[in-house]
Amino acid sequence: MTQPQPPRHAAMLSISNGGSSLAAAADKQQPPQHLHTQSQSSQGLRVPSNRKTIYDRHLNRSRNAELSRASFAFLFAEMVTYAQRRVTGIQDLEKRLNEQGYPLGLRLLDLLFYRTMSSSTSSSLSSSSTSSSPPNRPLRILPLLHLIHGPLWRLLFNRPADALEHSVSPETPNEYMITDNDPLVNTYISVPKEMNMLNCAAFVAGIIEGVCDGCGFEAKVTAHNQPTEMWPGRTIFLLRFGESVMEREKVLERAGVK
Amino acid sequence: MSSATKASRIGEELWKTRVDKVNAELVTLTYGTIVAQLCQDYDGNYQEVNKQLEKMGYNIGMRLIEDFLAKSNVGRCANFRETADMIAKVGFRIFLNIAPTVTNWTSDNNQFSLVFDENPLADFVELPDDGRAQDELWFSNILCGVLRGALEMVQMQIEAHFVSDVLRGDDTTEMRVSLVRYIEDEMPPDEE
Amino acid sequence: MSYYFTVLSPTDVPLFNIAFGTSKSGGDGIARFRFPDTAQYMNQFIIHSSLDVVEEAQWMNGNMYLKHIDTYPPASAYISAFLTPSGARFLLLHQPPQLPTNASSATTGSSSLLGSSFSGSAGSSSRASASSVAANPTSPQTEEAVRQFMTEVYENYVKTVMSPFYRQGMEIKSSVFRSKVTAAGRKWL
Repeated sequence: MTQPQPPRHAAMLSISNGGSSLAAAADKQQPPQHLHTQSQSSQGLRVPSNRKTIYDRHLNRSRNAELSRASFAFLFAEMVTYAQRRVTGIQDLEKRLNEQGYPLGLRLLDLLFYRTMSSSTSSSLSSSSTSSSPPNRPLRILPLLHLIHGPLWRLLFNRPADALEHSVSPETPNEYMITDNDPLVNTYISVPKEMNMLNCAAFVAGIIEGVCDGCGFEAKVTAHNQPTEMWPGRTIFLLRFGESVMEREKVLERAGVK
Repeated sequence: MSSATKASRIGEELWKTRVDKVNAELVTLTYGTIVAQLCQDYDGNYQEVNKQLEKMGYNIGMRLIEDFLAKSNVGRCANFRETADMIAKVGFRIFLNIAPTVTNWTSDNNQFSLVFDENPLADFVELPDDGRAQDELWFSNILCGVLRGALEMVQMQIEAHFVSDVLRGDDTTEMRVSLVRYIEDEMPPDEE
Repeated sequence: MSYYFTVLSPTDVPLFNIAFGTSKSGGDGIARFRFPDTAQYMNQFIIHSSLDVVEEAQWMNGNMYLKHIDTYPPASAYISAFLTPSGARFLLLHQPPQLPTNASSATTGSSSLLGSSFSGSAGSSSRASASSVAANPTSPQTEEAVRQFMTEVYENYVKTVMSPFYRQGMEIKSSVFRSKVTAAGRKWL
């Protein structure tokens, strides 16, 4: 709501272009319309002669595709190494990894919903809705957490997360924890000795933060090492929701919104 | 059986039996994140981004070759043509589950092209519409570095670069690979 | 029926706009708003004034497609909304064709847009039944057609945002995206 004027004004100019060129193209019937689209694409991106673009590729095409785990590990390790060169400490590094995961969270959120809408056979995102109806946007914290713990984790790691807990402390009702006993991002990454506090799952924390923010639940998400004898890489993702989210939560609770 | 057919069979068998797998989209999206981050950090200096990607690939290649040799258990290639098939049909199969076509050999058998029908790294990608990215950025340039790093570890100095990319509006995605020389055993590899 | 479709970012920045007319009941796909000289400004104004309603409905109703949510009687403009899970809003303004008796008042506008307006709107309103997509913005048939349109646009929107170079809040400038939205409009509206 605090948007400065220029973008809106620019957008209004662009409607006049869109509107009038559409009218012009339709007025002149088929051949001129063809010319019109060509002249437009020559100003924008070039496309191959088969004219295939991202818009021609089905979003489910790579849905069940697999790649080598080693390839992921190599790429991820390079990403961490590169980030490390540009920061001064562990906190900085984790912040940077978090920031790189964040836009991925926004993308995965839309991809998840699209896929649930487009497939009638697969299980829906929330347990409350039936598989035939389109998925619901999460309005309360709990369905949001289930979305992360289940569908998001399955999309990324082919399995759900291991645990979902609410803080027991009355002082921190806004804190929730999602546990992964064996995070893929820590499996192949050897952290240098001087960085033994680093948890590369900060990248995944960023993804989670993107999902929360995208859904309108402002949150800070951090990754913490919590090794056990059985699970040396065990990681807790701590989600701290903002005050405005907690306020809304109360209002929605009273209104009976689930 | 041609060396290419044989290599294809080895590659497919290894992919099925010896390769731990992850969701392909996780790899694709992670790579996209890396490239987008570099473009941001280098403020749209795409030449520099290409260079950095190649460097990252080189680091990966030097470590990846061990994994490759351990999994494939293949012996030394008799010549550069066999090496090309091994890269295209075994290496790319194991790590990216694709097998680019080997083609356009020079008469001295020192240069060939890899033509990619598919490229999982570039799925979902549209280059920035800034009038420059399509002329300057090689989105998948990391692969050139991977080949250079990996082959250097097995005593081959090569040079690799992309000559076309469907992301740029070209009809194919093609990488040109040239053998510079075989490295003598006493020479240590170039460390970056 | 004339349509104005816009995609707004979570912070209400316009990311994409398009105006078009119905292709149903013999429509030619060209927008003919009632006050063509001020239509661009008016449409944006009406859309933005419906945002309060959207924001309220957003937290009471978890559906992505919120159907018809607001009406602006002075311009006979009806607003339908679709919310992406990542906070973008798709808003569609529809304006039914003017009744032939009032149409003469609109002929003072620009000639290129209005040249065929009189006969076009009169023709389509006489042919179309009251429940058809082209005539009645709140009928169940229209709600369903708009849902189909929104869903198709959403698919293309997801393809846009999946690119690693797309950042939240960036204007969608792709001519291919525009042509996909135009095609969805032609198909469903």
